[in-house]
Amino acid sequence: MKTDRDHPDLQSRDYPVREDMAYQAKVWRFERCGWYVLVLLVVLGLLGLFSRGVISSREVSSNDGYLRAEYEMFHRNGSTNAMKISLIGKPDATLELDIGGELLEGFSVESLQPQPLRSRNSAQGMRLWLQADGQGQATLYLTLRGDGLGLFRSRIESPGSAGVELVQFIFP
Amino acid sequence: MDSVLRAVAMYLALMVLFKIAGRRSLAELTTFDFVLLMIIGEATQQALLGDDFSITNSLLVIVSLIAIDVGFSLLKQRSGWVSRLIDGEPTIIVENGKLLHRRLRHARLVEADVMEAARSSQGIETIDQIKFAIIERNGKISVIPQES
Repeated sequence: MKTDRDHPDLQSRDYPVREDMAYQAKVWRFERCGWYVLVLLVVLGLLGLFSRGVISSREVSSNDGYLRAEYEMFHRNGSTNAMKISLIGKPDATLELDIGGELLEGFSVESLQPQPLRSRNSAQGMRLWLQADGQGQATLYLTLRGDGLGLFRSRIESPGSAGVELVQFIFP
Repeated sequence: MDSVLRAVAMYLALMVLFKIAGRRSLAELTTFDFVLLMIIGEATQQALLGDDFSITNSLLVIVSLIAIDVGFSLLKQRSGWVSRLIDGEPTIIVENGKLLHRRLRHARLVEADVMEAARSSQGIETIDQIKFAIIERNGKISVIPQES
């Protein structure tokens, strides 16, 4: 059986230019494979591999259900993404929240809403005091800007409740 | 440091992307290609400069880009292998009035593209009047007419 390469159209010519069709075939193959890679990247981009999408958006809850965090797993250096942390405690109580691990190294917190009652450094990172509402719920919205590069593991916990682990990756 | 790395990364990434796009992609600029080129430029600019709009940074990026460019041209001069890798080779697509269809297909061209080049460069009317048509390394189609 004749392969594509044996076709007379694809034989190398010497005049008026010297050709190397074996090499040219490789170039064309590279272009074709490259096109598949580009399409794959577009699809992955749509799915959120490079932040904001099905793959990237995560929601984790602690085992006891008192702490919940919605965040983006993939970030891009210099871009901002939101994070939402919900806490459940006693009605009208002051709830403590610890944000620790590498989160504060890889990200800068651009905004915290609503303003916590108090905040201070803790051994792991920072501790915030939030005011719970009449149902005992408190929600904190953060805007994070990715400053670092690579993988960052962090932990969010509240004293007396199981914490959640976050894994985030920042693209260049 | 990061300005130089940005420039190197963007240079190499764009080079690979335009290799994938093929040599024809920006050779014949249509209006749309021109717009596309501007959008690519806009998208590249942020990545190159980051949030640093100082003269030092922009000069450092420009210096890096030109240095890489000159470096590559020196390499191309010394090594045929590198030259072929970066610039590619010319490919004949019409031989004695006959289209080499397999080659056209691989090069993502149609007869109309060849005839357009033939008309605009040589005033040729039919394909029989073409002795050779060649896709040059820069993606342009050059046409050699039959001797009458």
